[in-house]
Amino acid sequence: MAAVELAESSAPGADLAIQVVGVTKRFPGVIANSDVNISVRRGTVHAIVGENGAGKSTLMKMLYGMQRPDEGEIRIDGAAVAFHSPADAIAAGVGMVHQHFMLADNFTVLENIILGSEPSSAGVLNFAAARKKIRDLSTTYGLELDPDALVENLGVGDRQRVEIAKVLYRGARLLILDEPTAVLVPQEVDELFDNLRELKSEGLTIIFISHKLDEVISVADDITVIRRGKTVGTADPKTVTSRQLAEMMVGSELPSPETRSDTVQDKVVLSVAGLTIQDSDGRAVLSDISFDIHAGEVFGIAGVEGNGQGELVQALMGIRSINSGKISLNGVDITRLSTRGRRVAGVGYIPEDRQRQGLLLEASLWENRILGHSDSEPNIRGPLIDRAAARRDTERIVREFDVRTPGIDVAALALSGGNQQKLIVGRELSGRPVLLIAAQPTRGVDVGAQAAIWDHIRQARASGLSVLLISADLDELIGLSDTLQVILRGRFVATADPATVTAEELGSAMTGASTGAVA
Amino acid sequence: MTTPAPDPIPALPSTPSDLSLVQRLRQRYPVRTIVLALIAPVGAVIFAIAASALILALGGHNLGDVFTTMWKQAGKPTQFVNMVNQAMIYYLSAVAVSIGFRMNLFNIGVEGQYGMAALGAAYVGGQITGGGPFHIVIELIAGMVVGAAWAGIAGILKVTRGVSEVISTIMLNAIAINLGSYLLHRLGTTSGNNIQTKTISSSGRIPGFAYSGTQTKIYGFLIIAVLVGVGYWFLITRTRFGFRIKATGLNEEAAVASGVNVKRLTLIAMLMSGAIAGLVGLPALLGQSYTFSQTAQSGLGFAGIGIALLGRNSPIGMALAALLWSFLGQSANQLDFIGVPREIAAIMQGVILLAVVIAYELVRRYRLVLQQKEVAARLRTPGPTTELAVS
Repeated sequence: MAAVELAESSAPGADLAIQVVGVTKRFPGVIANSDVNISVRRGTVHAIVGENGAGKSTLMKMLYGMQRPDEGEIRIDGAAVAFHSPADAIAAGVGMVHQHFMLADNFTVLENIILGSEPSSAGVLNFAAARKKIRDLSTTYGLELDPDALVENLGVGDRQRVEIAKVLYRGARLLILDEPTAVLVPQEVDELFDNLRELKSEGLTIIFISHKLDEVISVADDITVIRRGKTVGTADPKTVTSRQLAEMMVGSELPSPETRSDTVQDKVVLSVAGLTIQDSDGRAVLSDISFDIHAGEVFGIAGVEGNGQGELVQALMGIRSINSGKISLNGVDITRLSTRGRRVAGVGYIPEDRQRQGLLLEASLWENRILGHSDSEPNIRGPLIDRAAARRDTERIVREFDVRTPGIDVAALALSGGNQQKLIVGRELSGRPVLLIAAQPTRGVDVGAQAAIWDHIRQARASGLSVLLISADLDELIGLSDTLQVILRGRFVATADPATVTAEELGSAMTGASTGAVA
Repeated sequence: MTTPAPDPIPALPSTPSDLSLVQRLRQRYPVRTIVLALIAPVGAVIFAIAASALILALGGHNLGDVFTTMWKQAGKPTQFVNMVNQAMIYYLSAVAVSIGFRMNLFNIGVEGQYGMAALGAAYVGGQITGGGPFHIVIELIAGMVVGAAWAGIAGILKVTRGVSEVISTIMLNAIAINLGSYLLHRLGTTSGNNIQTKTISSSGRIPGFAYSGTQTKIYGFLIIAVLVGVGYWFLITRTRFGFRIKATGLNEEAAVASGVNVKRLTLIAMLMSGAIAGLVGLPALLGQSYTFSQTAQSGLGFAGIGIALLGRNSPIGMALAALLWSFLGQSANQLDFIGVPREIAAIMQGVILLAVVIAYELVRRYRLVLQQKEVAARLRTPGPTTELAVS
């Protein structure tokens, strides 16, 4: 790994816009930051890469004043700063573009940009001055914004530029972009990167957080890798490969999710035919989706987030109503069945966002064991909850799925993300489900928990479980799936053979570059 | 692929069967948990006493006199019985409110629900003569049905049109006051300058319990109030239905994903809340007045909101809170005689509520942080980081 050198605090005196020196942040029960060192040169795009849960967002929150480091120092232009709030960070010229846009839909671009720092003279809003300033920003940085357009009429890429303009309007010289490409389609990604180069050429500094390695290599001038809360090294994007970066992100060797023994049976468990869903504006979110999942088959769906995967999962779980189509489970039509009915029929569900959709954070582990399974053994006795049995079974899950906890009476909130996820996986694999819908089953968990979760899914598959797997982790998809479909704008656009396809090929299919059978 | 050798996992508590009941209880309810549960309400009461003491002192009153007067007052037989009677009414109101609170449903309309229900029960009860014990049962059912129906309006508006139950129940309170008054004119008879429903005959009355030293009796409704409390506890903590209510209250999105039909549950909870609210006016109706008139007690629904908050929706907690509330109300009656404004009791009630809401939130956060720390400390044994064998 010639391209990789160990992170050293750069020589002082270099033209550094921001420097993070020995920063440590402790949280009870979660991975935080430990001795993080980053030096960002002025006028560059500096990428910070790491797995979900590696501590990137904690670091960003500290840079943006939302949290304060326990130890260490953050220096801006060589001077140590202590931000108490984002307002302090903004005053020091640091701006943050959040992954999820924070815009008021029924406001114009102009109104959104000035919201919170409205220019006024004698208490009267001075729109003319604001409009001029925004037009200036727009031409200087090539943002191409119309100050009077309504935000609700803008596309995702435009909205992101509004967010960037918002930050620039407040005088930021250092921009932090948190996973900016997660919501963009490929052309929009290219446009964003053009914008970033423009900003860079005007002398601004950009911190770019991502886990999409190809993008990082194409846009960054420097790369810092974070693993388990520590900076593990820097890399030169001109010479490093994504494989090398990935290895730095996860440790010496990548754990392999491979499932090669064929367990697919003839029996169809889930059959979806002509599934179509429209959003409230009548646009198709899913168009005529049809597929079968057999017993013992892992059916993987690859795609950039927001191409209909979420809606598909919700439709299969009965959380979202569909416009047309038919869903059958083991030959029985369940299209009109309630979520509860589908649960009882044997559908397990690992939701994408475990804290919001999968857990009662303030309830105990054994109560979380009952969540979603309050109609099935061993949790019930007639109309009653069988507390003793639920507790016993929770202890079994804790044991078999290696949930690290001092006991089953602690609140779910007290566990780390990986352990919360293992509890959910254990719960959803209990009671002999026939179909498991797994959305991002290993998102944000550490490598050890990831390997354990893969193992459990593999074992369940071997005993005949059907799995619908949706993941942003292409290696996970390729390694676990028996069948792979690529989804783009609500349609299956390509199929891939997991035995031969590479992550690169799959990635390019996800952007619509290739259709039909990939590899 | 071989799985990594498991780390030394901190010992789980042994299986329940290995331990005695006492040990199990201690494990499940450690002293700290109990202390944390009590610190907020007890602290709030102490804070309220201190705050009222300050106000009294500023007004130049003798603190000792005030508190001894209040305490002695509550000890007198008649006043004691009144206190218990009032507490039971408060308790029913609090239970009604708390059913909704459990799932973040704010039924502010207990006030209107119990008013309508008491009128309905009094009217139905007055129409019946004879019937033995069924007379009472019919009255109870009438009260619960009317209460549930009135609450059901807000429930239906919420699940079909998305109308906030807070707004609709407040508006229904206003409607209930006027509609009740109109119906009373239509259904009742004038006696003196009061309008009332037909007096309920003896078979429809619930006899009270005698208490030595006073003619006033403890309402026989006490038994029903206790049954409501036990039923509520059982429903919330032991049934699948109660679990769904709790899950919805803690995390609605997760509840939906786990198969809870939130709309249906909302409607059911609203109906149940209204049905219990329908009982609030009945202890006095069936145990003392035997007729519904314009002089029936008002404000009980709002008191119930405060008591449910103070008692943290817990069946026992709300009973203690109801007793405290009623103690403050009853014992203050005597304060006028020693020249102290009785409103000091209302001030104390208000301060307790404010203090307790803040204290609960602080304790809740503290408890979670404490638990996270504890878990982190128990698990500090560092595991292997990434040494995974790859096949």
